[in-house]
Amino acid sequence: MSDCKIAVTVNGRRYEAIVEPRMLLVTFLRETLGLTGAHVGCVIGECGACSLLLDGELVKSCLVLAVQADGTEITTVEGLETGGVLHPVQEAFVREYGAQCGFCTPGMVMAALYLLREHPNPSEETIRSRLAGNLCMCTGYMQIVKSVQAAAVMLGEREAS
Amino acid sequence: MSSGDAPQKLRFIGRDVRSKEIPRHVSGRGRFVDDQHVRGLAYAAILRSPYPHARIRGINADRASEAPGVLAVVTSEEVRSTTSPFKLGRYAAGMPVEVSEFAMAVGKVRYVGEPVAAVVATERMKAEDALDMIEVDYEPLPAVVDHFQAMEPNAPLVFEECGSNVVVNRTLMFGDVDAALRDSDVIVREAYRVHRYSSTALEPFACLASYDPTADELSVLCNAQIPEVIHDGLKETLGIGAIRVSIAEVGGAFGQKIHLIRKYVVITSLLARKCGRPVKWIEDRTEHMMAGGHSCAQAFQVEAGVRRDGTVLGLRIREVDDVGGAVSTASIHFTNKLSALVSTYRVQNVALEGKAVVTNKCPVVPNRAIGKPALCFVWERTMDAIARQLKLDPLAVRSVNCIRKDEFPYLTPSGNLYDSGDYQGLLDTAANAFDFPGLRSAQAEALANGRYLGVGLAMAIEPGGRNAARDMSIANERAVGAAGGINGATVRLERDGTAVLVLSTPNAGQAHETTACQVAAEVLNMSPELIRVAGPTFDSAVSAWGIASANSGQNFHLYDIGAVQGACQKLRDKLLALSSAILKVPAADLLISDGAVWRRDPRESLMSVAEVARLSYSNQTVVPDGLEPGLQATYFYQYPYPTPFMLPGVDGRVQGQFTFSAGVHCAFVEVDVKTGLVDVLRYLIVSDCGTIINPKVVDGMMFGAAAHGISAALGEGHVYDDTGQILTTTYSGYGKPSMHDTPRIEIIHQPSPSPRSAFGQKAVGDGAAIPALAAIASAVENALKPLGVSVHALPLGPEAVRALVDAARIREGTGVSQGV
Repeated sequence: MSDCKIAVTVNGRRYEAIVEPRMLLVTFLRETLGLTGAHVGCVIGECGACSLLLDGELVKSCLVLAVQADGTEITTVEGLETGGVLHPVQEAFVREYGAQCGFCTPGMVMAALYLLREHPNPSEETIRSRLAGNLCMCTGYMQIVKSVQAAAVMLGEREAS
Repeated sequence: MSSGDAPQKLRFIGRDVRSKEIPRHVSGRGRFVDDQHVRGLAYAAILRSPYPHARIRGINADRASEAPGVLAVVTSEEVRSTTSPFKLGRYAAGMPVEVSEFAMAVGKVRYVGEPVAAVVATERMKAEDALDMIEVDYEPLPAVVDHFQAMEPNAPLVFEECGSNVVVNRTLMFGDVDAALRDSDVIVREAYRVHRYSSTALEPFACLASYDPTADELSVLCNAQIPEVIHDGLKETLGIGAIRVSIAEVGGAFGQKIHLIRKYVVITSLLARKCGRPVKWIEDRTEHMMAGGHSCAQAFQVEAGVRRDGTVLGLRIREVDDVGGAVSTASIHFTNKLSALVSTYRVQNVALEGKAVVTNKCPVVPNRAIGKPALCFVWERTMDAIARQLKLDPLAVRSVNCIRKDEFPYLTPSGNLYDSGDYQGLLDTAANAFDFPGLRSAQAEALANGRYLGVGLAMAIEPGGRNAARDMSIANERAVGAAGGINGATVRLERDGTAVLVLSTPNAGQAHETTACQVAAEVLNMSPELIRVAGPTFDSAVSAWGIASANSGQNFHLYDIGAVQGACQKLRDKLLALSSAILKVPAADLLISDGAVWRRDPRESLMSVAEVARLSYSNQTVVPDGLEPGLQATYFYQYPYPTPFMLPGVDGRVQGQFTFSAGVHCAFVEVDVKTGLVDVLRYLIVSDCGTIINPKVVDGMMFGAAAHGISAALGEGHVYDDTGQILTTTYSGYGKPSMHDTPRIEIIHQPSPSPRSAFGQKAVGDGAAIPALAAIASAVENALKPLGVSVHALPLGPEAVRALVDAARIREGTGVSQGV
């Protein structure tokens, strides 16, 4: 199968590239564009370290081919901060120590961001079930849950002001 | 250096200062190996054995070598002819036979996933394509999968040169166990088993190797936990002139990245040397699950001699370890138990007989407290068995056996000198906070409604700061090349008044940067915001490293904190001496605080630290005679207190580690007897890890370790079929629970600071993974007590729990439970 030309918008910037049809979206982002925020922990959609937003939907970018992303708009963890200031979800993870080794963190932050768009005031039960697709081996999840709760408060305050 | 100084008021230690690491992780700026790119980078892939046991008759890599994009191929035959085997190190202490272990399978394969060839190509996909073109002629051999079958006389031999699959067989006896058993009122005999599980770090093994033939210099960047293992492994196998080992950010490690990873660093380095380009190799999940190393399945027979009041007079443990298809970690699950042999108990007579048995399964590696969770399982299950048999309260049995608060420092029969602790205090707090009486009445009420609730507990110590001589205590020759621990740190005051630290230990998520900056801030009396850590986390060419440089052994809290404190004290003294010369004020009248040099009395700011720093690097006329210019200091820390068994005694007595944290875990569970599912309703940890430097960092590590222990108890684990094929190569197959299935955990801190560490700190990290297995087993057994169930084996997944319930009902003649 011959290589394909794709055009994607990543974090507001448009890229065009020729890719092998079998190339994964996460590989395209990491190797071709040099955006190494999305991590590869399993390549079969179990761990969630490569989670990002594709046309506003949360996807695991190891389960998407680069060619499938043609014409889409993608937000990765690198696209969240503005002018060097962390997004409230990112800031909440920093304050609540919602990360240890940091390998799952970019995916966790993206999944949390998506969750809070759908559920601005999630219960702990909602957080735990909606983030069940993102694995972490370090934290036992306690401080991740706290981070998401803190992010909900911070986003609520930002909304109010 | 010691905390024997008068207690100081701490400004930065004990606070949740802002994390140094997490801002870069939340923004995708982590610096993991796979995030690094260099010009001319090529990519490696590894061909692995599909057989658990087979002779390699030949390998033909001609087609692969010609495949598009392929730069070089290395086969196991080439590994045999061009490299030397690894030396058996201290993880194989006590091995009576020298066995050659190469970076690939040589002659035969001994487990599914063992590497037999490797390809490097211009792209990873091309390297993987070429693997399919390598032809390996295997002659399959019968596999030994079960370690008890492996001990039978006619079992196929995994290593012919050993003459037996039992490759280590040692007994250590402290005190007189036979007499203790003779003198006891009751002998409690039990058998226990702990299964094979793993830590499954989210980031698999990773390595980037470059070789410069003109300088005969090899540089590797990898995610290993112990630089020495990598450095020495490369030196032994490749014989290269200069080796530089850098460790990038490590995406979770837990012991998994200590040892087996060295093979892959050697393979990647071989490929780099052969193709003349830098080579990156990133393991994938399947490879990691099948061949990245597992914890050791351990089986025990226990005899405890007990007095009627529950006092244990002596304990004999017979242990059989399933160490898988390699010998280089054969005895680590045995020797590591010497750090915690009597746990929290004042038992004087203990014997540990250990057999390491090789099988055709993945080799074992140090994994989250290496053998101590299983040892704790033995102690705590035995305590519960004593309570059951003698009709005593499980709390009371522990109380009567605990080392008492006034007995510290306490010398254990195996030669460990415990620094501090109040084990009864931990038990009391746990009993109050967990409300055992309340839970027991809830339990009775639930039982009346056909629901099975159970409350259980377990306690353990967490030793910290490894003695490098420990493992040699079981070696016949007692050749000790290393003892105690040495590690260093460097601090420099920059000309703008900020400080930079160079640490000497890899960081795998334990917030070393944040913690070290807090310690430096404390000593230098400046904000941690003005202190940073230079990366990568470890660089053998830059770091002041010694034998204790290890993201392992719970070393950081002792050696690295001690080194950072020492380096910063040297720097502070130098800064004061230089300021004194510049200001013409006696150093004793000066103090450093928040970016300025002050006169003590009357308090007056005299000069900025930045100005002193600038002068120290640029104006030699202000530097007094005898003072070295520049404001940089390196300090190597070693454990500074007399230690009777730093070197192993002839009887095997040895100081295993140097600080001793402790914890009591309480679990309240509901067991669904129809499905076998166990729901953890409440989980509490009462912890003593000494002075806490950063509360959120400490809590985070404890949450994670406990969650892993709970999950290991409740079903996660590796499974092989009867032929030796591994069935658990994905997270879901392995049974890794999600956030939704992970229980909430509570922590109460009740520290007994160590009198023998810089700030009274003790180890934290693995500790909560140690008693969690036993605490869950205790609670499940308690829940099923009305059915007469006792728990002897892990894991307690739904099938196993159903089997326990069914067996109990068959015994009772009530028939098997109704399936759902």
